Amino acid sequence: MTRQMRPWLASNGWLLAAGLLPALVLIGALVYFTGWAFAFSFTNLELVGKKSLDWSWVGLDNYERLFSRKGFLEALWTTINFTFFSAIVGQSVLGFLLATALRGTRGTMRTIVEVSVMLGWLLPDIVAAFLWSAVTNKTGLVNTVFFEPFGLQPVNFLNDFALQVVILSNIWKGTAWSYLLFTAALDSVGREIVEAAKVDGATAWQRTWQVVLPIIRPHIATNLLFITIWTFTYFPLIFALTGGGPGNQTKVLAIFMYEQSFKIGKLGYGSAISIAMLAIVGLLSIVYLRLLKEPK
Amino acid sequence: MLKKKLAMSVATFAVAAAMALPAQAEVSIMYADWLASLVEPGIQAYEAAAGEKVNAIKLPGDGYVERVALDLSAGTAADVIQMDSFVVSELASAGYVEPLDALAQSWDQYQYYMKGLLDVVSYDGKVYALPTDTDVRMLWYNKKLFTDAGIAMPWTPQNWDDILAAGKQVKEKTGVENAFLIPAGTKQGEAATMQGFYMALLGADTPDGDRNRLRNWKDGKWIGDSPAIRRTLELYKKVYQDEKLAGKAINYATDIGAAVRQEMQANKLGILASGSWEYACMWDCNGVNIPTPAERDAIMGWTPWPGSGLPGTKATTNISGGWAIGVNAKSPNKEAAQKLLTTIFDKGNFGKWTVDNKRMAVRTDISDSPEYQADAYLAAATKTAAETTGRDTYPGYQRVSALVQEMTAAILDGASVEDAVADYKTGLIDEFGEENVVTYE
Repeated sequence: MTRQMRPWLASNGWLLAAGLLPALVLIGALVYFTGWAFAFSFTNLELVGKKSLDWSWVGLDNYERLFSRKGFLEALWTTINFTFFSAIVGQSVLGFLLATALRGTRGTMRTIVEVSVMLGWLLPDIVAAFLWSAVTNKTGLVNTVFFEPFGLQPVNFLNDFALQVVILSNIWKGTAWSYLLFTAALDSVGREIVEAAKVDGATAWQRTWQVVLPIIRPHIATNLLFITIWTFTYFPLIFALTGGGPGNQTKVLAIFMYEQSFKIGKLGYGSAISIAMLAIVGLLSIVYLRLLKEPK
Repeated sequence: MLKKKLAMSVATFAVAAAMALPAQAEVSIMYADWLASLVEPGIQAYEAAAGEKVNAIKLPGDGYVERVALDLSAGTAADVIQMDSFVVSELASAGYVEPLDALAQSWDQYQYYMKGLLDVVSYDGKVYALPTDTDVRMLWYNKKLFTDAGIAMPWTPQNWDDILAAGKQVKEKTGVENAFLIPAGTKQGEAATMQGFYMALLGADTPDGDRNRLRNWKDGKWIGDSPAIRRTLELYKKVYQDEKLAGKAINYATDIGAAVRQEMQANKLGILASGSWEYACMWDCNGVNIPTPAERDAIMGWTPWPGSGLPGTKATTNISGGWAIGVNAKSPNKEAAQKLLTTIFDKGNFGKWTVDNKRMAVRTDISDSPEYQADAYLAAATKTAAETTGRDTYPGYQRVSALVQEMTAAILDGASVEDAVADYKTGLIDEFGEENVVTYE
């Protein structure tokens, strides 16, 4: 590399150091905050009160609490459900189907679909939350348009189907990303390869399953990596829409951590929850990164 | 040459950065939007008198308590801070809030604050904030729905069965989803503990030996299980599981306050367990464009919360809270901060706000004023304050309150009273140790 550098740059150590500074600050900040959370996960630090000044080391107490106290495992299960159905099944599959269906089409139809998919993505989370709560309540759109005209009793969906509503709203909100990524990925699959398969007598299903999918496998893995990380730690839409409730129906880990840290004020325990989340997301990322590698 | 250029640009950046930093002279204040009608005229008066701008940080009411605690602990809070009165002692114990003893000496209006209300905002014998108002809690009912359901008014329930019967009647005759809404769950925080759980708990057993409370003060222990707690949860179970007198989701709405109040205004909410502030806040806490008292009285009425009706329990129950404003201990300009504080609480501004917004006075010079005395609503509400109580705000209360909210959330989830109480007790023991938790048979 040095050989390609302009001589004045190569000979100027100060300038190089200055150029390096932003990167160092960024990396330093990331490491600092993670390290902070990690260290405090071994303490009983609290947000207010005496233990905010006078905290002490408590060893693995907070991690033990994750399993001995009610809350964490339940929230983990809700998070897994939420991530699996809204991101992996919902956004990813729907995004792929849309991208496949619209592949090669041009014109109004495609524009309409793209704009409407993008609208969900562009809308701020809080606005989306108000929208979904208005659509699904007892006097909302779904009831007045689909239920009442047919003589059905109106249902307040957030009462009994809160998790389903939250999953649907997140599919609606996040599909655009998967759609865009898969559209780009499908463009990279050569038309001649697909046509060659067609000539060889492969059905549409076989062409998708055995030709297209293996080619865009790295894109699928990238997509899954991103949306899993986002969805696993997703907070604003769920919090605004249901606040984790009713009861604990939609209490995902991010909301559980928020409640423990800032409502109850147990920063130590909250840090342990966040470290646990980091570990889980880290493990999932390793799995996806393996997928990314070409098979030998 | 290049080095010179680099040095120049670094210097330019440094100057620009220094200029971008906020001027340290101006005093800042953070407050919830619903208190604007008290704080903002005070800010204007301060700016006019001092000739310098106040940095006003107006925040939404949802999550306000958490935001304040977080900002104070991070050292980024404003100089003057509005706080819920129940967190003042806890914030003071962390050294976040400045004691006001010097102000008590120098400010001539300090003497009018009621002693009992200053106790709430004290820690270790020092006062840390000035209360804005106090409140009482009651059951508000919708007159249109009560008329439709054929319930006689003024409604005077004598026990819990009367409330449930009225709720059932409203539900059957009018078909509304929320016939009797008793706040539950974790999203609305302290509101669920106070407006809902506490009001029932106080009437669920005799006050002897703190049997109707969360803490036994004599022995200094939290109560992990008691007949009062179980009876209170039974009431929640009847409302949310057995009789379905209220929807669960409204306790978790995107904007709970707005959702609940819209239902009441649209005649879709029968009975609401809430507090004295609703006489204004039902429409707008800041008193903008709200109906006249006569119009309000035509829409809704109120009645004190009755006790459960079991022998030895109180006939009516009440618990009071309120908000307060104090000074950040890390404020670089405490003098200006205290000046702003006393300007906001100056009798002209504070007295007018109290009467206009139907708040319960915290100062004798205001409660004795002819305007306050002449207000029929305030007179009636103040009467119910005679026997009111306060929260069990011993350090750690915030966590107890959160566990109480989780208990009610479990009932919303369909859990049994037995399971909900068992989890509550386990939680208390984990927080405070076995030796600090007691069980009543």
